[in-house]
Amino acid sequence: MSDGQRAKKLLAEAANCDSVMIPDDVRIGKFERWDSLAHLRLVLAIEQKIGRQLDPDEAIRIESLADVVALLAPAA
Amino acid sequence: MNTPMNVPINMPINAPTTGRPVRLQTKRFLLRSMTPNDPLERWISWLKDPEVVGTLNTPVRAYAADQVRSYIARGDNNKRYLIGIFDLATQVQIGFFRLEVEPFHRRVNFNVVVGEKSWWGKGVVNETREALLDEFFNNRGIEKVAGMPFARNFPAIFNYKAQGWHHEGTLRGHCISTSGGPRLDQYLFGLTKDDWRGIKKRNRTSRDREHNS
Repeated sequence: MSDGQRAKKLLAEAANCDSVMIPDDVRIGKFERWDSLAHLRLVLAIEQKIGRQLDPDEAIRIESLADVVALLAPAA
Repeated sequence: MNTPMNVPINMPINAPTTGRPVRLQTKRFLLRSMTPNDPLERWISWLKDPEVVGTLNTPVRAYAADQVRSYIARGDNNKRYLIGIFDLATQVQIGFFRLEVEPFHRRVNFNVVVGEKSWWGKGVVNETREALLDEFFNNRGIEKVAGMPFARNFPAIFNYKAQGWHHEGTLRGHCISTSGGPRLDQYLFGLTKDDWRGIKKRNRTSRDREHNS
């Protein structure tokens, strides 16, 4: 599974939807399923994957799949 | 969020308001300035709920109705607004905004609590805050708004970003944790009147494009 697919799977789980529903260029505020609770679940899932709390500078950057990929990459 | 701690219980509950009360309606909600005569049971129950107050760094506490009433009486609809969010369908209050106005700078600091957990994740904050931004920018002379969510309040951060607010800074170790943990980081989000005009214009264009496609 590619980094992009892993990120999309994480967002899909957080948003309670199928990965295929998530556009590759998904952005915060532009995909209805990515709501405030999905965002909470997504950040906590990223933290669980990488095994630590995100620094405020990291957490504030999460706006797209690419941002999730960047955070997961060191854990791959 | 300021809580009704250390407010004199004998403060007059019918303290005069000095400004124009807010009354606005969105698709799903009524927003109106609270008065000390409003029912307070729900508000009191939110202050006792760790899930509701936890992300606000407010201690869980059982407040007496008079304490909350005194707190509400401090809303003068001039420098401080306490605005209830009511579900239009049921007329039940589900949360509130506290807005602190700095008149000289024509700036408002926004705080919001959605106390009814069944409404979490349903777009309450941005639907209602949009109406308040329109009102304060267009009708109440405000030119800048700010919000300071705690760094672990991820739903609030989502809402600011999704609505187009700018992350203007990170305040490290800005507050003592009321639960005894390490000092807490906060973000500073902001939006100018011109920013908001641009966001509304982009949203209209986007809606028109969807409508015509």
